[in-house]
Amino acid sequence: MNSDPYSLKVRKLFANTAHAGDIPGGVSGFYEDQGVRLRLSASVTDGAMTALRFQAWACPHVIAAAEMVCSLFEGRPVADLELFNTAQIMDDLGIPVEKTGRILVLEDTVRSLGQAIQDRTDH
Amino acid sequence: MSAANEWLYLDYAATTPLDPNVAERMREVRQTSFANPASNHAAGRLSATVVDQAGVQLAELLNTDPGRFLWTSGATESNNLAITGVAKQRSHLGRHLVTMRTEHKAVVDVFRALEKQGFDVSWLLPDADGQLSVEQFEAALRDDTQLVSIMHVNNETGCFQDIATLGGICRTRGITFHVDGAQAAGKVPVDLEALPVDLYSMTAHKFYGPKGVGALYIADGTVIEPLMFGGGQQRRLRPGTLAVELIAGLGAAAAESASRLETDLLHLTALKQQLLLGIETIEGVCVNGPKSGAYPGILNVSVADIEGESLLLALEPLCVATGSACNSQSQEPSYVLRALGRSDMEAQSAVRFSLGRPTSKADIARAIDLYRAAVVKLRSIAPGHTT
Repeated sequence: MNSDPYSLKVRKLFANTAHAGDIPGGVSGFYEDQGVRLRLSASVTDGAMTALRFQAWACPHVIAAAEMVCSLFEGRPVADLELFNTAQIMDDLGIPVEKTGRILVLEDTVRSLGQAIQDRTDH
Repeated sequence: MSAANEWLYLDYAATTPLDPNVAERMREVRQTSFANPASNHAAGRLSATVVDQAGVQLAELLNTDPGRFLWTSGATESNNLAITGVAKQRSHLGRHLVTMRTEHKAVVDVFRALEKQGFDVSWLLPDADGQLSVEQFEAALRDDTQLVSIMHVNNETGCFQDIATLGGICRTRGITFHVDGAQAAGKVPVDLEALPVDLYSMTAHKFYGPKGVGALYIADGTVIEPLMFGGGQQRRLRPGTLAVELIAGLGAAAAESASRLETDLLHLTALKQQLLLGIETIEGVCVNGPKSGAYPGILNVSVADIEGESLLLALEPLCVATGSACNSQSQEPSYVLRALGRSDMEAQSAVRFSLGRPTSKADIARAIDLYRAAVVKLRSIAPGHTT
């Protein structure tokens, strides 16, 4: 029958999107695919992401995952973005395998953010 | 999930709660009339009387003869029996069938199955409000057309089809006319003596009766083939022991509806107006289906730039239907709204509010607040542009 498609973690993160928003003057990565539009923005100081925000047009799983990513990586070195792990996020949040493509959009957005930070640093 | 007493249930087009009077009637029947109504003894005859009484109650609601009903498990079975039963019975005369793109799955999937069996189906598209034009309908009919199936009230938009006119055209051409009345019977006035309808499907749980029981009206002279075999019950068209308690519940629900049809419609009309006024002030909202003249228990709206699955979750504890089945089972936007010309984006953000007897003005005010808050929240976190 029609069991709840959302884990308690997804419900909590979706209800409390503390990291939703933009960072004016910050660095952004954007990706759009699979019916998902996702932007991650960061303010970076001395190689660390002092603030992380997301904007999403997406299903609850992706919104919850984006909120989780912002919480996990805020305050950490930019290099840690390399540690992003799609499988672990899906496992932690109980995201169904059918949504893998959408979570991969989040992975692409994280990479896009990392690249944007790198580009700004190089510049 | 929220507890049931915290829900704000506005999904009465999906199903309704059991009316207390219906529940009481079913309790009585459960205790007194357990016997098989086909049994030729006193206990059986008592059960048969219960079934007969339900037939009279349903016939009074729909203004027809009680002998013209077959009891079924619900509208899905009634639709299957009517459509397949006629198509097969008349296949030697022709194999062309006509229906609409906006029918319920319980009709659409039957026609698809018949297509696989070699029948030729014409799928008619409505206009942007969901209305089928008479001209388009007439143009679709052919000399070998044997069956037309058109729903009375659309389950997603509340749009009425002009059953009287369409049925009249079918009758003059000798075409059997079936109507899926799942969203109409017990909810709006239906006069089967006056309407040129050969077969009419209905189900009890849409009008405060029990789930698992429905009926198929078969007009005099209409012949169908059975789908099931195994006994002489119900003229061998739908064999099997009758579910006396459920049928009694359907009858009681019909009697209840008959006594309060006008009151229900006035109540729903006022609530829908309140809901529409509240929702329309939100930027980017558009109504799916006719803005006026539709069944007042249903209001379907889409909203620009909102993701449908997130909208549904953000609306909790509001229980409504969404145009997006975007979950782990399916990602298909409503085919009904797509047939009305809505884009995938519009269709997937659609929400169907369906109102019922227990709905109050305070419920509607709360629903408007929840809807507005959900839209504001999701818009506030959406990317403003895509570059």
